[in-house]
Amino acid sequence: MSAAELATSPAARPLRHVSTRFLRSELRLIFGRRRNQAGLGILAVVPLILAITVKVSTPRPGHGPDFLASITSNGLFVALASLSIELALFLPLAVGAIAGDSIAGEANIGTLRYLLAVPVHRTRLLAVKFAAITIFSLVATLWVSLVGVAAGLALFGGGDMTMLSGGQIGMGPAVLRVVMATVYLGLGFASLGAIGLFISTLTEQPIGATIAVVILNVMSFILDSIPQLSWLHEWLPTHWWMSFGDFFRDPVAWDGLTRGLLTAAGYALVFWLAAWARFSDKDVTG
Amino acid sequence: MSIFERNPALRWAVPAVTAVALVGGGSAIGELPASAGDGLQARTAAQLLVDVQQASLDGLSGTVVQKSDLGLPDLPIAGASGGTGSSDLTSLVSGTHTMRIWFAGPDKARMALLGTLGESDVIRNGQDVWVWASKDKTATHYVLPTHDAADKSATSPDLSAFPTPTALPTSPQDAAEKALAAITPSTDVTTSGTATVAGRPAYELVLKPKEATSLVAQVRVAIDGTEHVPLRVQVFAKSVADPVFEVAFSAVDFSRPDAAQFAFNPPPGTTVVEGKAIAGPGATDPALHAPQPGSAGMPTVIGKGWGTVLVAKVPVPDASAATSGSTSATTDKTIAQLMKFVTLLPTVSGSWGSGHLMAGTVFSALLTDDGRIVVGAVTPEGLYAALAAS
Repeated sequence: MSAAELATSPAARPLRHVSTRFLRSELRLIFGRRRNQAGLGILAVVPLILAITVKVSTPRPGHGPDFLASITSNGLFVALASLSIELALFLPLAVGAIAGDSIAGEANIGTLRYLLAVPVHRTRLLAVKFAAITIFSLVATLWVSLVGVAAGLALFGGGDMTMLSGGQIGMGPAVLRVVMATVYLGLGFASLGAIGLFISTLTEQPIGATIAVVILNVMSFILDSIPQLSWLHEWLPTHWWMSFGDFFRDPVAWDGLTRGLLTAAGYALVFWLAAWARFSDKDVTG
Repeated sequence: MSIFERNPALRWAVPAVTAVALVGGGSAIGELPASAGDGLQARTAAQLLVDVQQASLDGLSGTVVQKSDLGLPDLPIAGASGGTGSSDLTSLVSGTHTMRIWFAGPDKARMALLGTLGESDVIRNGQDVWVWASKDKTATHYVLPTHDAADKSATSPDLSAFPTPTALPTSPQDAAEKALAAITPSTDVTTSGTATVAGRPAYELVLKPKEATSLVAQVRVAIDGTEHVPLRVQVFAKSVADPVFEVAFSAVDFSRPDAAQFAFNPPPGTTVVEGKAIAGPGATDPALHAPQPGSAGMPTVIGKGWGTVLVAKVPVPDASAATSGSTSATTDKTIAQLMKFVTLLPTVSGSWGSGHLMAGTVFSALLTDDGRIVVGAVTPEGLYAALAAS
């Protein structure tokens, strides 16, 4: 997505050094906060629970999520099953919390004023904020995968992976596909984060922005399940997330994945611009 | 930037215009103007039919999207959830489904039904046919008799050679052949210029039933301008404007797919079922076939062309339980569910007796109280007439 490019856009070049420092300090803030660390800990619980319960009681094929029954054949599926469970609420909630906090949180505790006193253009401030959201989104998703892969390999071992198409691929390509699927989902969550960034510029209550993001996420899933709205489905921000399973077909079904990435990029661009429109002349009183 | 500083409200135009441009641009993809097919010379319907018959297809691969809106209530058949995004083969009767198709000659074909985090594959490689379902990790293996394969090679080999769970065509080739087979004096066949399907210019063949009782308004077949392969089949009902059934390539490539695409080895941990020799429907999962009248005698065909009506005896639950052995519990349950469902349908009666009517957009079905089932792509009146004639 455009986040990284935005962060180091041509306008930022004269201040390149300052720019990365700003981003690094932003990331230090995000990952240094106790509540965010606790959040990442909770995200890691799902793969652990999955791996242990499947180890204790083997699911029958044909029951439960598709990837769940495959766990016993290859530990890598713990990561995929965890992602398919967490993509509905947990991961969007985590990204929504960070995104909702990005502007509104600073406004709420009164630090936004000081941040804007620094000679940094507001546009670049927004770019750095979104870059940080994107990085957090990728890290959180990769973290879930990493815990899942570690727990899965420890309890079930690796080996050749059976794909949805029934073919098998070796461990190396399988790990690569898991990483690609994880990054794909991470970028999808980051586009939700752009919506959160926009909402965050509208309010001074970070929790309000977070709740709004979660509501939008759930709303998108609900709309996606109403057949009468099928014309709308392909435009919904969450519609293509489940396509991450397309990485595990033989050959990879790129159609849906490409549409998913384009949709994510579209939402990110439009809502980042909306945030810019709102924030550039916002009176900061907090 | 200065213009935005003078007039801050203008800033909002930037995300708004971007959103409109993205939505507009996104919608335009796949809906290229019909003028893309202008390069095609005009061809008559007869020429097109010949083109299709003479088309020699070396191989193709592509993505097919099938949409059906047959106006059916969700059938309470076990496993046939019928939902969009299901990879269950029985779900093809309703909703929108995406399939990937590979074809390399009559004895090498593969169809993959893509579901959400699931996939069902039907693979034919020589005399071997594999049916794979990722949901329950089962692989069913059929071996085609050699002479049968020779017979089938003339027609669509990919799906017709084994018991399909539904009679709906699942590839454009198959669908077009079914539609073209129905061309009799009962049909107006015309061409309507050109269309663009999967980014390729195509001719359009329009079939209009003459039969007054037919529910089908027209069947449109889009035929590739250079390869003469059907790319899209649409069925329009008289009662709705949108196609009630559509199967179309969303992407197609006419190069011969790699032979590795047709190799299937059941992965470890798979339940492998050796299917019985393929004799006809009814050999596989009894749940799929329980509501079908096959076991209770062959259905009677009344009328012809678009007005064709099938009349068959419905198996009663007891008889079915006696014949299907160990799986009778599921079958019984399915039939009981169906019977319960049938009683919810509106009651109709006439000189032929009385029964329950299910009126879909493109076909009607009638279950009479004396245990006959009557199905046809005709209005309910057409069914009554057929019953009176039988």
